[in-house]
Amino acid sequence: MRQLINALIKYKNTLLYTVLLMISLLFLNLRSFYHQSVFSNAALVLSSNINLAGQNISNYLDLASRNEKLIAENIKLKGLELILFSEQAQKDQAINSFAFQVLGARIIKNNYQSARNYLIIDQGYLDGIEKEMGVISSDGIVGIVNQITANFSSVISILHRDIKINASFKKNGAYGSLSWQGNHPKRMKLDDISTINPVVVGDTIVTGGMSDYFPHGIPIGKVLNFKKPKLEGYYDIDIELFSNLTQKEFVYILKNKKKDQLNQLKNESR
Amino acid sequence: MNRDNIVSVFQFFLLLFLQSFLLNMINLFGFINPNLYLLYIIVYRLDSNPTLLIILGFFMGLLLDLLTQGSGGHTIATLTIAFLRPSIIKFSFGVNYDVPMGMIKGSLLSQRLLYLLLMVMIHHLVLYSVIYFSFNNTITILKNTLFTSFFTFIMVYISLGLFKEK
Repeated sequence: MRQLINALIKYKNTLLYTVLLMISLLFLNLRSFYHQSVFSNAALVLSSNINLAGQNISNYLDLASRNEKLIAENIKLKGLELILFSEQAQKDQAINSFAFQVLGARIIKNNYQSARNYLIIDQGYLDGIEKEMGVISSDGIVGIVNQITANFSSVISILHRDIKINASFKKNGAYGSLSWQGNHPKRMKLDDISTINPVVVGDTIVTGGMSDYFPHGIPIGKVLNFKKPKLEGYYDIDIELFSNLTQKEFVYILKNKKKDQLNQLKNESR
Repeated sequence: MNRDNIVSVFQFFLLLFLQSFLLNMINLFGFINPNLYLLYIIVYRLDSNPTLLIILGFFMGLLLDLLTQGSGGHTIATLTIAFLRPSIIKFSFGVNYDVPMGMIKGSLLSQRLLYLLLMVMIHHLVLYSVIYFSFNNTITILKNTLFTSFFTFIMVYISLGLFKEK
């Protein structure tokens, strides 16, 4: 008890200050609407955060029963899906006749700062990935599979200085090769378009069918500006990509089912 | 009740009324009101009871807020500076400050200036922080603190000279 009193005496100034500060804050709260609103706002933020934490904990403890509910719902939906599939057999035939098979993957690592960029995706040869498959995203092309392991693959990004992609104009099919200059992740250059073809700013560029990697007609970008040489020759065209490769998360891998035939044909005609 | 206490009470009310009815009407450049009442806490005897000063500072600010329809900024600022005063004195004059008079004759000019500046700046910083009470107004708070401190400092310095004449 004596120690308590001694402590009180020792810190009496601080205690007095604290008490008087509380009184002045009350006074402030009473007299000023602005301060009142700030205080009540702070109290609201505090209480809502505490409530949120409590909510999260109770949600977590509730997970098991929720999981059971979800499984039950999934079983029901799976049954419905199977019924739908049996009705859809005809549509599947159309998909099968398309020369490319589509596989999905998630980007694990995406690089776009250096001059030669690679991506890593979470599918490997166990999932049916092979070398030299084309990789596209929902709004453009991404690259070509370079190396594969059991569960992962590395993809040469189109943002790679040494890669050239066959691309053509959507309006007239004039084709050239698309390459990256290494500066801006949305700018590429289209070469080898002869000046006999008309070019307008804003023309859409799609993949050309000359490569084995991509089917014809995937939109890549549009013409940003172009330079015509003084004499006849080839245009110098800047392309702006539709897709932003710096913020991709999911990609699709195109498996060319008829690649064997193509290679055989190429070798024979050599 | 000895003479010192009477003088102290007289000072308290003189500065309080001077501040609330004259100095708060100045509005130099639209926003500068020098807070001379801080002089009371500055010249409060160094060897007197610091607990009493906290209570006096609280009432000084409270009365000032009531008289000027203030929101409560003066109360908190004056209370805080009264509480911090022993630390500021230790910081400015060193540990051995057992000299009875308000402003120490023997101390260096730089020590006195440091003491005055710290008192004035901290008081004004707390005052304007409480009045504006928002991070969006940080620039305004700093600007007001700087300019008003400057004028308060000048007035306090001149007043100290006047007291010395007596």
